[in-house]
Amino acid sequence: MLEILLNIIFLLTFPFLFIGIINKTKAFWAGRKGASVFQPFYDFIKLLKKGEVISTTTSFVFALSPSLTFASVVFAGLLVPVFNHRAILSFEGSFILFAYILALGKFFSLIAAMDTGSSFEGMGASREASFSTLVEPAFFIIMASIIALSGNYTFQSLSLILQSSGSFGYLIIILSVFALFIMMLVEGCRVPVDDPNTHLELTMIHEVMVLDNSGPDLAFILYGSGMKMIILASLIANLIIPTGLSFFYSIIAFIGIIFILAIIIGTLESSFARLRMTHVFEFIFTMSSISLIILSLTMISMHKHGG
Amino acid sequence: MKCFYTGLFLIFLGGLISIAFSEKLKAKIVSLFSGLGMILVLIPSLNVLFTGNTISKNIYFPEPIGKVNFVIDPLSAFFIPVISVMCFIGTLYAIGYIKPYLNKNKLTSSHFFFLSVLITSMLLVVTVQNSLFFLIVWEMMSLSSFFLVIFENEKKEVISAGINYLITMHISILFIIAGFIILALKSGNLASFKQVFELNNSLANTIFILLFIGFGIKAGFVPFHTWLPKAHPAAPSHVSGIMSGVMIKTGIYGILRILSLMSIPSVEISYFVLIISVISALFGVLYAIAQHDLKRLLAYHSVENIGIIGIGIGIGMLGLTYHNNLMAILGFSGGILHILNHSIFKELLFFGAGAVYNKTHTKNIEKLGGLIKTMPYTAAFFLIGSVAIIGLPPLNGFISEFLIYLGMLHNFEIKSPVILIISILAIASLAFVGTMALLCFTKAFSVVFLGNPRGKEAESVKEEVSPIMLIPMGILALFTFLIGLFPQYALFLVKNPALVLLKTTDFSYETLLPLNIFNTVSLAGLGFIGLVVFIYALRTLLLKNKNVCDYKTWDCGYQAGNNRMQYTASSYASPFLSFLKPFFVKEFDTKKPKGLFPKEAHFELHIHDIFEFYLINPVINANKKFLEQFYWIQSGSTQQYILYGLVFLIIALVGTIF
Repeated sequence: MLEILLNIIFLLTFPFLFIGIINKTKAFWAGRKGASVFQPFYDFIKLLKKGEVISTTTSFVFALSPSLTFASVVFAGLLVPVFNHRAILSFEGSFILFAYILALGKFFSLIAAMDTGSSFEGMGASREASFSTLVEPAFFIIMASIIALSGNYTFQSLSLILQSSGSFGYLIIILSVFALFIMMLVEGCRVPVDDPNTHLELTMIHEVMVLDNSGPDLAFILYGSGMKMIILASLIANLIIPTGLSFFYSIIAFIGIIFILAIIIGTLESSFARLRMTHVFEFIFTMSSISLIILSLTMISMHKHGG
Repeated sequence: MKCFYTGLFLIFLGGLISIAFSEKLKAKIVSLFSGLGMILVLIPSLNVLFTGNTISKNIYFPEPIGKVNFVIDPLSAFFIPVISVMCFIGTLYAIGYIKPYLNKNKLTSSHFFFLSVLITSMLLVVTVQNSLFFLIVWEMMSLSSFFLVIFENEKKEVISAGINYLITMHISILFIIAGFIILALKSGNLASFKQVFELNNSLANTIFILLFIGFGIKAGFVPFHTWLPKAHPAAPSHVSGIMSGVMIKTGIYGILRILSLMSIPSVEISYFVLIISVISALFGVLYAIAQHDLKRLLAYHSVENIGIIGIGIGIGMLGLTYHNNLMAILGFSGGILHILNHSIFKELLFFGAGAVYNKTHTKNIEKLGGLIKTMPYTAAFFLIGSVAIIGLPPLNGFISEFLIYLGMLHNFEIKSPVILIISILAIASLAFVGTMALLCFTKAFSVVFLGNPRGKEAESVKEEVSPIMLIPMGILALFTFLIGLFPQYALFLVKNPALVLLKTTDFSYETLLPLNIFNTVSLAGLGFIGLVVFIYALRTLLLKNKNVCDYKTWDCGYQAGNNRMQYTASSYASPFLSFLKPFFVKEFDTKKPKGLFPKEAHFELHIHDIFEFYLINPVINANKKFLEQFYWIQSGSTQQYILYGLVFLIIALVGTIF
């Protein structure tokens, strides 16, 4: 019961902190003092108090979409194991529901962007849809390989790689962490795929889709995208943290990894420029290639051990 | 069994009687009778479906058909409700859809007559177990659907699509006949299915592949799918719905029936089925993305979904060959459930497309937009259909895909490197298919229903379609929710059919299948809907007493935006398609603007199917060249034809003497 409670508290509070730390890191590299790490939370509260401007072109889809997308992210969060490698809702093949429920949220955010009839938002939707077609298959290859290795059909398999595949396990973990990190950058719309700081540039993807949202709807969207980041970061943390730690230490390790990831993202954003649009496909393909390497390693490892 | 015959007869009678009535009443009569017939055929079939007992009856026909065995086993009993219920909903929709065509010298009599013939023959196809009689009803089904396709026969493209369909179906029956003949030669008689298939030798693979191609043409597996994107747009929407939702599934039925009669399939054909299905799913959705014609787009999605059904069947077959019962049951259950699911949401989407066509008179989605304001119900139903067809939770498409995924994951227990690679690549393909479908349906739904109208066709729409067209869509939308939210009960529909394919009965379905997963999935679906409602209520609460104002879409300070500046279907799909250009044959038709004050400019892009372009068309052209050699035979002079007749008679006479 305590675990579930802590799990939910983590899910609800860390999105703000995660984004706050990224921004703080960026400020540090830029030589600025930067806003407080709690600033995203203050922004959230401020947006909740505001009214909204709604385009006359839009329909119920536009009104419903931010709530539905946010709900889908929260729900996906329930499926992901947090402290102690345990998820609130865990069953065989839960990663499929996880990916598909996030896709449902994406579906609604795409059609909401198209609902405004704006050419900018259409452009963002088109790009977002195109890029995400490549991410999902790679994610499925990684998850299926890990499941095949560990023989566990839930998300818990992430932490069981080492036990089942010995020395190959380290390689697979490193590669999986790298691939999931790319996925986090793509899904979270960070540099080098997209820059969350820009508005109204012809190279933008996700930011442009929410041009017409304001007030509570915008708050949900921002909160949701932050939550999506920490959900994916949790997957990475699950890969790294070994099993068998006591509950207390696993919390410390978990939160430590989440913070380190935020700092890495902030550093990356300060030192890299955004990729040219034509190169984004190639960047995402790195993830696909890594997933194929993981698949081959899995095959070799299973052949050696299970025969 | 008597109940079933009576129902069958009633459905046929409806078509026959309707000829005598006025144009206005025909659709209603056919619908009424197929509704009554539906109830009667449902009683025995549901009984068989839930208990698993087989009922059968022999009827003696004059030679050469002889004894015909009518059997309702769990497999048939699964298809009978799918056919009868979906067709009844189709006829209901037809009442509204046909209205604009009445009293315009259309052949409505023959249309409704053949509609009831189609329903009757499909029901016969899935119950008869005699190869000769099967071929007869199969041909009846193809012919009646041909007449349904060419309803708008004054249009040239409709006729050409119809002829294409007719020819393709006869190539299909050619393969089926070839398969049956080999079987008959090997077993010595052409009497009944069961005896015919009771063989297990090296020929079994050849026969299976012949029959798979024959039935696969009907079902629309790549590369035999080329008739689908032609015939579906040409047919009226209720017919496209029935054909795509129900009729192509008889091809799947044929494949499943062979599987149920064969002993354990060999490894080669299991992989063959799996790989061809993966290719079908991938290319079906890939070409769907490139379409501007709403019904063509949906037709390509049928190819995709047939592929997904095939993946399920292929996984089931692999489970059989490797003696992994769990994998087999998951694969077959998923494939069979997807048959039902696809018939529901595909019919729903075709009806939605039909409603749009009824009001706008165009199938070109580039001219549409903003219809959600004038046709809110159609839009909502189309949205539900879209979510379901992509396979997103909490609707029905997710459940069958989830079963298939689980089946593929259980491949790993076999511990063979080949099956590991193949199954993980199949998992990735299915995920890729899912995301491409997401791209395709965000495009289709938003370009048709959202934003502002892109042409006068969409602007001219003033009101929603009549309730008689909305009610069938509503029923189908309800089905997608019911199966999606209560999968644990939906599994009882596929339990006995899947066990027929599994052949062994030394375990119970409940102990084998992890049913508790589906209780969790059901709870998850309900919980998710609850969460959405909660958050939306929170939003409403937050916006209470706040300033919510309406304004135009933010145009970044540019004050002269117009509707033509919106993203179109082509531009939406463009980044993705340019990335996958090797898979398309593009044909440009451009007229560039010239001079200082350009008057005319024009750009058109047509995207062709590589299978049609490089595989089907060359065969047809070579065939044409060969047949052109015989043009001189058809000279047009009567004297010459009489001479042919005379020569033929003489040859026949001489032939009988020797």
